[in-house]
Amino acid sequence: MNCFEFRRAAMLDPRRLDTEALGHAERCQACGTMLAEALELEAQIENALHIPVPHGLRERAVRNALETPRISRRQALAAGLALAATAAASLLWRRDDPLALAGIDFVVFEEAQAILDAKPADPVALQRAAVQTGIVLPAQLGELRYVGTCPFAGTTAHHVVLKTAFGKATLLLLPDRPLGARLIASARGLHAAISPTTGGSVVIVADSSRGIARIETILKSG
Amino acid sequence: MLVPGRRAGFDRAVERYFGGLYRYAYWLCRNRWQAEDVVQESLLRAWRAWPALREERALRSWLFTIVHREHLRAAARAPRSENDGGAEEPGYHPDPGGTLDMEHALQALPDDSREALLLQVLGGFSCAEIARVLGASEGAVMTRLTRARQALRRQLGAADEATGTAREARKA
Repeated sequence: MNCFEFRRAAMLDPRRLDTEALGHAERCQACGTMLAEALELEAQIENALHIPVPHGLRERAVRNALETPRISRRQALAAGLALAATAAASLLWRRDDPLALAGIDFVVFEEAQAILDAKPADPVALQRAAVQTGIVLPAQLGELRYVGTCPFAGTTAHHVVLKTAFGKATLLLLPDRPLGARLIASARGLHAAISPTTGGSVVIVADSSRGIARIETILKSG
Repeated sequence: MLVPGRRAGFDRAVERYFGGLYRYAYWLCRNRWQAEDVVQESLLRAWRAWPALREERALRSWLFTIVHREHLRAAARAPRSENDGGAEEPGYHPDPGGTLDMEHALQALPDDSREALLLQVLGGFSCAEIARVLGASEGAVMTRLTRARQALRRQLGAADEATGTAREARKA
């Protein structure tokens, strides 16, 4: 091994030199000095790279890995197919439904006044209405901005205003209004859907059909 | 050698490699919070894919590869924040000034050179193994490692010179 070959090996990994290279460093003073400097640099690199591991991170990471439920490919495929079927059905069912349009009109013309006239919200009454309607309102729906009751389409609706990841959304829980199929409408820059539930139906009004689909998914999974 | 029981094998692997995996993630992201996310997500992926692992001797490079890929995924999702405002855990360094110079020098390295160096120093990988993790040729890895060390020597030499000049200026 000559000096050039030695230096090339030392720059590659000075800690893993073979016996031939180490022998050369012993015989050649210049290369020996170069190796000492390279090993010192290596120690500095290692020292700088060995930052401390945050306290408790390992335990957290393991717990997270073991406890996060896994969605199997089959479940993911089924969910994807269901979503595609829903989207296809929505496209076929494009006609604006009068009750869904009434939901949009309510939001445009009456919601602000309803909020102004509102009495203090009663979360217990809302939960009761949700149970009666056959839905749950999970936290991932978004931030509850307003809860109240209001007259809607000849019945009393439980009126909920949410701030969601897709913007503002309004829910009208109709425990007394059973429905055979999902109804939709679009007007005044808003989209509405009325979904049948086990105990009645729920009107969802939002800026986008994507937002509505997301809320429906959360309501169904909750 | 076949991999032992899933949970026992996973625990043992985490016990053995977690420090290196976290440090690798940290130096890839250069941000503690992003590194924590990357390493947590990587362990989740490792646990889910564990049954597919056939040989224990491939474990180390398998885990580092997962971290590397997870870092790429995270970087694609959100741009890297260059600095986490010194959120590193306090640690003892016998030469804090020298360590700081080295940290700056490491951060100034091109990404591909730094990645190869990290895998060699933190993971203890050979050039062939690094090439597999990074999806590069062995020759390219050898070039990156050599360039990384040359750059570090140059930068630290310059830093030493600057320190010496400042010291002499103060004396004068």
